[in-house]
Amino acid sequence: MEAIYLDNAATTPLSPVVREAMEPWLTGEWGNPSSVHRMGVRAREAVDRARAQVARAVGAPPEGVIFTSGGTEANNLALFGLLPARRERSGGLLVGPTEHASVRAAAAALAGEGVAVTTASLDEGGALDLEALGESLEREPALVAQMLVSNEFGSVYPLAELSRMIRARTAGRTLLHVDAVQALGKLELSMASIGADSLSLSAHKIHGPKGVGALVLSRELPLRPLIHGGGQEEGARSGTENVAGIVGFGRAAELADRLLSSTAAHLARLRARLVAGIEALEGVELLAPGGEAAPHQPGIVSLTVPGAAAEVWLHHLDARGVAVGTGSACQVRKREISPVLSAVGLSPERARGVLRLSFSRENTLEELDRVVILLREVHGELAELPR
Amino acid sequence: MSPSDPLPDPEMVLVRYGELALKGKNRGSFEHALIRNIQAATRGLSAVRIERTRGRLAVFPERRTLEVARRCQDVFGIKSVSPAWGCEAESEAIAALAGEVLARALKERPAEREITFRVSTSRGDKSFPLTSVELDRFVAERILPGVEGLKVQLKDAELVLGIEVRPERAYVFVDRFPGLGGLPVGTLGRVMCLLSGGIDSPVAAWLAMKRGCRVSFVTYHSHPYIGDASKKKVIDLVRKLTRYQPTARVFVVPFTEIQVAIRDGAPEAYRTVLYRRMMQRIASHLAHRDKCKALLTGESMGQVASQTLENLTCIEAAAELPVIRPLVCYDKEEAIERAREIGTFELSILPEPDCCTVFMPRKPIIHGRVESCERAEAELEVERLVAAALAGTEVIDLESDL
Repeated sequence: MEAIYLDNAATTPLSPVVREAMEPWLTGEWGNPSSVHRMGVRAREAVDRARAQVARAVGAPPEGVIFTSGGTEANNLALFGLLPARRERSGGLLVGPTEHASVRAAAAALAGEGVAVTTASLDEGGALDLEALGESLEREPALVAQMLVSNEFGSVYPLAELSRMIRARTAGRTLLHVDAVQALGKLELSMASIGADSLSLSAHKIHGPKGVGALVLSRELPLRPLIHGGGQEEGARSGTENVAGIVGFGRAAELADRLLSSTAAHLARLRARLVAGIEALEGVELLAPGGEAAPHQPGIVSLTVPGAAAEVWLHHLDARGVAVGTGSACQVRKREISPVLSAVGLSPERARGVLRLSFSRENTLEELDRVVILLREVHGELAELPR
Repeated sequence: MSPSDPLPDPEMVLVRYGELALKGKNRGSFEHALIRNIQAATRGLSAVRIERTRGRLAVFPERRTLEVARRCQDVFGIKSVSPAWGCEAESEAIAALAGEVLARALKERPAEREITFRVSTSRGDKSFPLTSVELDRFVAERILPGVEGLKVQLKDAELVLGIEVRPERAYVFVDRFPGLGGLPVGTLGRVMCLLSGGIDSPVAAWLAMKRGCRVSFVTYHSHPYIGDASKKKVIDLVRKLTRYQPTARVFVVPFTEIQVAIRDGAPEAYRTVLYRRMMQRIASHLAHRDKCKALLTGESMGQVASQTLENLTCIEAAAELPVIRPLVCYDKEEAIERAREIGTFELSILPEPDCCTVFMPRKPIIHGRVESCERAEAELEVERLVAAALAGTEVIDLESDL
């Protein structure tokens, strides 16, 4: 039986095309981009090409791309680096209600250093509460961090509207950082149109390698580095560049951008197939904060399942060759309810039943049909069990 | 993106170009060049369809309208651009869309004080039932009630809501982003720019592009006295300029043998001037090959010792084509300012040596004489050296990666 991988929001398989692009930089071309001999210059050229590829995928200037070790470091760099270095942090930091752990934990660390941190909320329907958020803007936070696509539900937040609100209320004094890790390659991503000052990206969510990501700045902004050293990445991120990883990221970003419209259409078909398939399963519900009509990234589907805990469902599906996720992968090992699930108003009881199925352009309709059948099987075994 | 904000991204970019260049039969070629250049500049962003319409262009991108508008601002020959939303060409629909566009525009502007406002219609479709003035009034009367903080003012209003009525569809916009002006690249012929890696030559190239020239580049490389990072720097500078001219050809000429020959066979004080004369000769050959009608340099009078009138005369005497020096009367500060604007400054000041620093004379000649240059060159195998350099020349075709 072929394994079916439906945990693409956690990570995606490396594309063979990307691997091929990386290979020379892991074998013959192992130069250091900072070296001045020809081998070094070639490595620098490769990094610069990748920089342009990543920039193009989000409509940003190439100079704005700072390569990092991944989305987590990009989010940390944005939060620690973009808050003004001096005491003028009075307005503090405003973070979105369902941010990734890397934003939440970085914000908590900043709070520990005395930065005033406010968390935005969702309204009763589960949509971003823009009215309340507008009030929080009165304090003129130095930075707002709001994700574009929820990694747990696939909700797409109204960033364009938020950025306009920020511009109008703070006359450009408040910066907007957007975690776009789950958006790249899945929906049209343009820094100008969402009005972001900075953007976090990760390669391994778009069929690139792990260990590489980027913080992208829409223009020149004062940024304090997290990692000090030899001054790579224009001083924003020292340390010898992960050349092969960066080249892979560039190729993956280029590919993701080129395939964007077909990927988006394909993911929507997969989602529709799954949503239709689970209708007959009693107690299985689509978790769509903000309503099913609200915009979503079609590659991520969250379900609440009845009976046994989601983790038990996960293992039963795994035993049948289907890999899925629960709650948020980063929380699973702690066996706690993800604060994001509480933020959307789920009771602990329901939160323990959240399964996440996430697709990539490599999944097929046949796979989804098979998954529906297997879900039905598992439903028969687990739906009546107590949690 | 949400129910309270129904307006998607704009669907069209209205491009206005200067009127001066549009006399007589120039107009057609100007417009064609502009269309070609917009298409080339936006190639990496989106497929675009472009329509000509009464002294302006309507650019319809498949995606990323805002980025396409931003890119158009860097295309020479454009006066201003406006991202615009479209609707059915019918008064009620136009008024409804205008209301939404206005509401969005006001959301971006602080509401502390009154903003002066007007509607301004341009009618491409004369069969439309209302005249421009009538439509201005109709739309204003529909959208102004219910909006606070606006004061109608027909002259010099801060916020002008533009309406463009075309036969099949109408468009509404408020933003007018400035372009760079100038003439479309390619309308005036080709020139060959001698690029050193300094601040001035990229500025010279940019100024020539702005006047409608298509610029090719030649740079001289003295490996192994100079590292490949210097060559990369020059190529990166051209890459920066592909923001304004989306494709560019760079000739990289091996220059070591020539410099060694001059070092060993010519008076030391004349070295720099002789280097430059050789550069002019080689550039002239490459210019012929690349159909360029003139040479272009970043030279300016008196900026460095070698740039006295006498030395400029010595250098130019070796060129076989006119030498254009757009910066000839610039101050250094003016060149720096311009380089910052066009985005080449940061790169230009990277501390990479260029070939002129190789075997630098202790006391360079300040007031050189052409006859002395020629006498010195009589001792050198000028033709053979030039031929060898040309034979070893590398040709690099760059495309904008924006």
